[in-house]
Amino acid sequence: MSKKSRRRAASPSGGVQSPDVAAPAEEVAAPEPVPEPEPLRPLRLLTDVEPEPVSETVLRTLMRDWRRGRATRHVWDMIQDGYVALLATVMIGAMLVSVVIRAQGAVSACTSESCQSSRTLLPWAALCGVLALTLMVSRIFGPVVASAAEGFWLMEAPIKRARILWGRLISVMFAAIAVAAVFGGLVAALSGSSWAGVVSWGVAAGLGAGGLTALAAEEQTADRTWVVRTLQWIVGLVGLAALMTVVAVAAGWLPNAGFFASSENRFDLVVSIAGAVLLVVAGVVAILRLDWIRRARLVSGGSLVAGMQGAMYALDMSLMRDILVERDAIARGHVRPTKGHGTGLAALVYRDAQRIVRFPKQLILLLLSIVVPYAVGALGLGVLSPVISGLVLLSAIVPLLGMLRVLSRTGGLARAFPFSTAQVRTAAMVVPALATLVWVVAVTPAFTGLSAGTAHLSWTDAAIHALVTGLAGLLGAVRWVTAKPPNYNKPMIQMGGFGAMPPGMIGNLIKGIDIVALVSLPLLFGWSYWISIIIAGIAFFVLRGSMNMEDMQAAQEEQKRNLEAAKADAAGGKKKIPPPKR
Amino acid sequence: MAKQRTPVLKVSKLSKAYGSHAIVSDFSLEVWAGDAIALTGRNGAGKSTILRCLVGADKADGGTIEICGNRLRESDPAVRRDLATVIDDLDFFPDLSVVEHLDLLARAHGLPDAEGAVDDVLHEVQLVAQSGQLPGTLSSGQRRRLALATAFVRPRKLLILDEPEQRLDVEGVEWLATRLKAEREAGLAIVMASHEPRLVDAVSTKTIRVGA
Repeated sequence: MSKKSRRRAASPSGGVQSPDVAAPAEEVAAPEPVPEPEPLRPLRLLTDVEPEPVSETVLRTLMRDWRRGRATRHVWDMIQDGYVALLATVMIGAMLVSVVIRAQGAVSACTSESCQSSRTLLPWAALCGVLALTLMVSRIFGPVVASAAEGFWLMEAPIKRARILWGRLISVMFAAIAVAAVFGGLVAALSGSSWAGVVSWGVAAGLGAGGLTALAAEEQTADRTWVVRTLQWIVGLVGLAALMTVVAVAAGWLPNAGFFASSENRFDLVVSIAGAVLLVVAGVVAILRLDWIRRARLVSGGSLVAGMQGAMYALDMSLMRDILVERDAIARGHVRPTKGHGTGLAALVYRDAQRIVRFPKQLILLLLSIVVPYAVGALGLGVLSPVISGLVLLSAIVPLLGMLRVLSRTGGLARAFPFSTAQVRTAAMVVPALATLVWVVAVTPAFTGLSAGTAHLSWTDAAIHALVTGLAGLLGAVRWVTAKPPNYNKPMIQMGGFGAMPPGMIGNLIKGIDIVALVSLPLLFGWSYWISIIIAGIAFFVLRGSMNMEDMQAAQEEQKRNLEAAKADAAGGKKKIPPPKR
Repeated sequence: MAKQRTPVLKVSKLSKAYGSHAIVSDFSLEVWAGDAIALTGRNGAGKSTILRCLVGADKADGGTIEICGNRLRESDPAVRRDLATVIDDLDFFPDLSVVEHLDLLARAHGLPDAEGAVDDVLHEVQLVAQSGQLPGTLSSGQRRRLALATAFVRPRKLLILDEPEQRLDVEGVEWLATRLKAEREAGLAIVMASHEPRLVDAVSTKTIRVGA
């Protein structure tokens, strides 16, 4: 550095011109008055104090009082304030029930082989899916959890943890039973089962999920996960086999549902009995051994719940997924580094592919989603296939967009690359787009009307329908991972009795779904597929960041300044050009 | 050192407010190659806000910012090529290891010997043993070292750092001071906010006390 430049940097004209923020470096703050020191108190070492026994019941009551005593409103007040939302919930619930009943009636009227096989198989698949999900969620969270505060203040105290924890284990088991029963029954109804079948599958799902939650809790007390993991894979594979059979029957590769269709194989009954037995036996063992659960294991699940709750309050599903992904990566901890290839944007694309190969389970959902258009066609709902398959594809592509997610959630990492936002985003979409292309090829036969109940299309039209569905799912997923979270810096929107809500919060709920609907609905309405393709093109242009409003505004202001400068030059005057307004 | 015709960083009348509360007003600054500007001041004085505006993470309410003669647009590839930053919004890929992050950045910037550069920086920030670790498992100090490494592994003309000494141990701060001093002497322009007097004394050619 030259002396001249040093002088320039140090000079008032080259340095700070801000009366509000800047002052000479030599300036020293005025000394603050020193407070009088407090007199020293004698130390209480508590070495000779014998602690009295603590009643866990009293502690639990205290905790309840702290929580309820600090509430500013009762539940009834909330209901009174939110009567509009309550009415809306009741109305939407009634509409959903009506839709389910009508769909059940329509689907049960279908008597083709593929409809019958779907009716038999889809509840199997749904039941297995619910049970696998129960095992996964139980393993990830605990299922017995304690908050960080409870972990610090209570779990370290000389008390019996079981007396604090048994209540929440029972609650978790009942919650699993209720949620799984509703889901299992719903799928059975939507696939056209009789009402007795709906109840039977619902009970099986509920008891099965309850039993597996109890088992997961028992395994938590033993501090092991392999039993739950193995069961999760077995149940998941049975569900996959059921789904594949749906496709095979719809395609005519199998004459009927075979093993799954046999009336002697009352899978629902077996699961119900096994679930009930497991619920009682594993539940009792788990409750008796609740003291064995390590504090770190309890608090780990509790902190995860807290993180998820925080994301849920903002209705930010992407953040919830980020938390799970981060947790998964931490559990893995270490990888064998691989060598990169290429330079520039190619290096980014190559690393994205390596990233996906390293965690191949991200592809499982994509592979499973191939079944969906076939299953929808087999149910005689082929006309809805672009919308339904597009939505499922959205959820299957999201795990592949991990690189795009990181590059768009905060600007720091994207700024480190010497590319524009549009270039970075496009590079991060390449590998997921290739995966989508494979999906499109794999599902094209489903759109030819291979399944009963689906309108017959030529191979060309079927390929275009599959392509549009693929574009809808891919772009929906891109929107899902790149959408901005609710903005808490802007003024809140008043929401009646519910207080206020930050802008963008409700939009967060439908992000991704909106793009799938926009792209795929023209096919549903029987319009030209060109409309869908044009909408997809516009969506891609916007989502890749080509329409950055701030950049466009800055460029416009720059042009305006240049124009004014040119005018001033032409006039030969010394007109002062104002700085741009932002 | 040969004088360049344009400053590496030129800030004119920068202003930024949150609501009605002005954080920065009419802040002007010129930084030339070989300059190291240190922003000091109390917590909440506006140092980080200034730096966030300089890198384009926050939008200024008024004023202009130019980097190597280019008007600052955060997504401009030319700006991103010249500007390396370590501020609080740096993120990492959860499923790429330490060494893979650095390799990716070096290759993205087209370094001819990316592997050699990555190896050198890894040794320098003392993360060789952690090269295969995923970022989520690093300690806070190791994460800070990785963040600094992302700035050192790529070509740059201007380095903007927000309290780079944060979470570094004593040896780490000494290493950082030596490194930044060498960077400055090699002609790099540096703007940093810091609460560490040793770092400021060793590195800066000018100190600006913000909010005094």
